[in-house]
Amino acid sequence: MSQQTDTPQPGSAPEATPQTMQLGAARGGFLTQLRVTLARRTEGRGLALLTVVIIAAAILEPVVFTSYQVTLGRVALIGLVALGLTAVILMGELDLSVASTLAVSGVVMASIPDIWLGVLAALATGLLIGAINAFFVVVVGINSFIATLGMLFALRGLAFVLSDEEPVRLSDIDAGIAFGTPLLGPLTPRVLLFIAAFIALQIFLSRVKAGREFYAVGGNRQAAMDAGIPVRRRIFTGFMISGFVAALAGVINTLERTAADPTAGSTVLLASFAAAIIGGVLLNGGRGSVLGTLIGALALGILQVSLTLSGVQVDIQDIFIGVILLLAVITDPASLRAALAGVRSSFQGRKKVQTPV
Amino acid sequence: MATKESLTEAIAVAGSPASGGIEKKKFSPLLWIAENGVIVFTVALILFAVIFVNGFASLPNITDVFYRAAPIGIVAVGMTFVVISANYLDLSVVAQVATSAVIFIGISNLYGLLAGFLVATLVAMLYGIVNGVAVGFFKANAVIVTLSTTFIGLGILRWLSGGSIFFGPEDGPIRAFGQASLGPIPASALLLIVITIVLWFVLNRTTFGFAVRAYGSNKQATRLAGVNTTLVVIGAFVITSLAAMIGGFALAAFSNTAVSSMSDGYEFRALAAIIIGGTSVFGGKGSVLRTLLGVVFVSVLTNILVLSGIGFGFQQMAIGALIVVAVSVDALARRAAKK
Repeated sequence: MSQQTDTPQPGSAPEATPQTMQLGAARGGFLTQLRVTLARRTEGRGLALLTVVIIAAAILEPVVFTSYQVTLGRVALIGLVALGLTAVILMGELDLSVASTLAVSGVVMASIPDIWLGVLAALATGLLIGAINAFFVVVVGINSFIATLGMLFALRGLAFVLSDEEPVRLSDIDAGIAFGTPLLGPLTPRVLLFIAAFIALQIFLSRVKAGREFYAVGGNRQAAMDAGIPVRRRIFTGFMISGFVAALAGVINTLERTAADPTAGSTVLLASFAAAIIGGVLLNGGRGSVLGTLIGALALGILQVSLTLSGVQVDIQDIFIGVILLLAVITDPASLRAALAGVRSSFQGRKKVQTPV
Repeated sequence: MATKESLTEAIAVAGSPASGGIEKKKFSPLLWIAENGVIVFTVALILFAVIFVNGFASLPNITDVFYRAAPIGIVAVGMTFVVISANYLDLSVVAQVATSAVIFIGISNLYGLLAGFLVATLVAMLYGIVNGVAVGFFKANAVIVTLSTTFIGLGILRWLSGGSIFFGPEDGPIRAFGQASLGPIPASALLLIVITIVLWFVLNRTTFGFAVRAYGSNKQATRLAGVNTTLVVIGAFVITSLAAMIGGFALAAFSNTAVSSMSDGYEFRALAAIIIGGTSVFGGKGSVLRTLLGVVFVSVLTNILVLSGIGFGFQQMAIGALIVVAVSVDALARRAAKK
């Protein structure tokens, strides 16, 4: 994904966010260290949003923190899908089909009478969908934006077909009720699963060779290929992680509601994209962290729950999250650089543009 | 802006000898299918429908196909500009069509058709400029940008309209337009043809249209040739939004009602029509006339599925599969042509 052909590359550090530039002005040993650390980290915007959301929620709707089980549950759902997206976006690809994967796997699970068989089938569905996405991206060579967009629509149709356009009730309702009760302290199985997925992905992306190669694939695909990294296999792995995690979210959703809704997932789609992107995962790939995604998911989860508790209707919540996603994507370092270059070139005028020989 | 001839030269200089400047013509059957296959497929599909599908070849059914094809077609020919400029697509047309329809019925009921038209135009310009600035100036990803504007737009629309259905008056001008027809061809289908001709002219006979195509095939060369590429992208999104606004009018006129959920799936149907029509998602190549054929294909296909009693879910699967297959053929053809 090298879409930056029309952005001139300035010589400055690639991650010059406003804070780091200010700090750079005061040259001190400690401050320089801090600046370097800040320039390396990508979680700045996520932290800023989280701070604003926590302060606003503490003043306006403190119930969010006392009824933290609801809040954590929401964070876990957004965060799970966002974790899978992180793996894919790190490689410069995108998986828009996660929303429908969530719905389809939920319906698959609910239509199988045996609960454990259902869970297995749902997770297998997620892996299969991820593999199909990866097939189109890697083998056929379609852009992942368009391939997964087509899949998003096709799979939504599949969820309607499988469910006869009605919510499917889970046959084993007791399992669903058991799933909602706290297991470890105040933590429900849903939150525990999310924490497990978070730790697993964190270890995979920072400690395992294959996971670290995700960054290389997203940073410079040609260089990764030349270095002998099996790029195609890594992309397959990424999409299958994303499909699997979305299916897991579908399973959790179905268990908690004791029914599978074929229209589930569309609000989660927007919130989880916003969580990953505001958390600092660069859409062009190569930069970002699982921790950032967690921060983003916390911010959006708390925001959604506090809006719901304040009696704000879903439509207005969509506006909030849409605006956050739009701001997140235009304050992405690459976008800010492009905007800066645009402003600079319009001041310089045309005469400095040289015709190449 | 420079004249078209000087632009051609400048872009050719900037674009060569790197790839993409001037492509060698080499015959490849797959590429021919990707670009011109829509003619064969559409004719074949119509023949199939006439022979095998009960009730297709009747005048009321054909008129119905026209009625349903017109709004999607108007949206699709407009969105072709965004696709040609290599910005994937504008997902927010789904919000724009519904917003426009609600404005046309809702505002016209209160203040008259002219007021409705003005408000709808302003809103469409706003959509186009917000999408265009985010994509053209900030170089943000068009899919994510328009995904967020879709949710913002639909959220505002549902919030302000309360999700209620708006009915136009029985003797209003919108109803009159919806019922007007020339023989079996409804006025909205004629509107689609007029808009296609206008947009064909803009794309193929103006410097702006040339710049859109040039930008889609080689962004860097177009920028170096002195074209204000930010304005080109904004222009492509504004044209898409204006077309979506007119599409919303045609949709509102069809049923004389408007509701925020009435355009569900339009973004996917329009994209399917554009890609089937041979406009490449890789940008640079495409034509609004072929998109029109793509619209006929998608509409006839949907009609066949409906007549055969196939449900909503299967229709969505068919359209989604159509998008993926059409893009696959295009991608494979391009790879074969490069070798």
